[in-house]
Amino acid sequence: MNKLSSTNTDTLSKSKNRFSTLDVARIGLMIAVIEVSKFALSAFPNVELTSFWLIMFTLFFGWKVVILVPAFILVEGAVYGVHLWWIMYLYVWPLLVFLTWLFRRTESVWFWAFLSGIFGLCFGGLCSLTYFVIGASAGGVSAGIKSAFTWWIAGIPWDFVHCAGNFLFMMVLYRPIKYAFKRIS
Amino acid sequence: MEKKNNKKIVIGAVVLAALLVVFAAVYFMNKPTAGAGAKDITLEVTGSDGVTSDYSLSTDAEYLREAMDELSENGSGFSYEGSDGEYGVMVEVVNGERASYAEDGAYWALYVNGEYGQYGCDSQPVADGDTYSWKYEQAQ
Repeated sequence: MNKLSSTNTDTLSKSKNRFSTLDVARIGLMIAVIEVSKFALSAFPNVELTSFWLIMFTLFFGWKVVILVPAFILVEGAVYGVHLWWIMYLYVWPLLVFLTWLFRRTESVWFWAFLSGIFGLCFGGLCSLTYFVIGASAGGVSAGIKSAFTWWIAGIPWDFVHCAGNFLFMMVLYRPIKYAFKRIS
Repeated sequence: MEKKNNKKIVIGAVVLAALLVVFAAVYFMNKPTAGAGAKDITLEVTGSDGVTSDYSLSTDAEYLREAMDELSENGSGFSYEGSDGEYGVMVEVVNGERASYAEDGAYWALYVNGEYGQYGCDSQPVADGDTYSWKYEQAQ
């Protein structure tokens, strides 16, 4: 290995382990992409691209996405205000990123479509945990279970919509976006 | 690698299919249901001044929103307005009084027989003899 390529390798390995200015700029762009997608689809309840983008960004950006998720959640709170759904975001989106990171070496579009669909289907159930805490704090564990269960049941039809949307978006967009990411990386 | 991927795909497909079946079954076994037929109900409205108005209705409505629509159209004096959202109608105005959570933390709370309602008015089943109460409340 000559001196020049050795220096390049050092620089690359260093940049893999710490945040560069480019990383910070990329995180900003990623949040902008998520927010614009979210706004564009706001007329369609439970049809969203946030899951798709978080999966793709985790696959593309690796562990550095740990900064993206809290930054995205903070921006969401700043734009739309801090309500119950914001508390749900604190654990729901990090869970998706964690699951994606666990399976990051898998390259099948079908796998990611299934994972994204499962996440969309379970979204209401995951969010209902917040209602469990609220109900439990007011009337004990049984009240918490009742609150969470009724809230989850009422939203199951929308969880099906969420599942279908996530699945289809991944099937359609995974390959072109992966190709685009490979070109810019 | 290819074999490993195929295994993950199969597991993903099976998990998704199983969850779809389980969720559908749980939903159809537990979704809010109502029986049809003549039901006598009472609707109460308590405004920000604490004054309560009572309305009686004999209805075949399955869900409370239909009963509220009947009441608002039969000259009882009851009226409401709301906006449709992801989880049904969000009631914002009752009997001309607006509750704005964004401005002062106020909202119209729905009670069923004195208990805090578990559903929105368009998924709250109507049962004979029940009392439904809209109360103007403010977040603490």
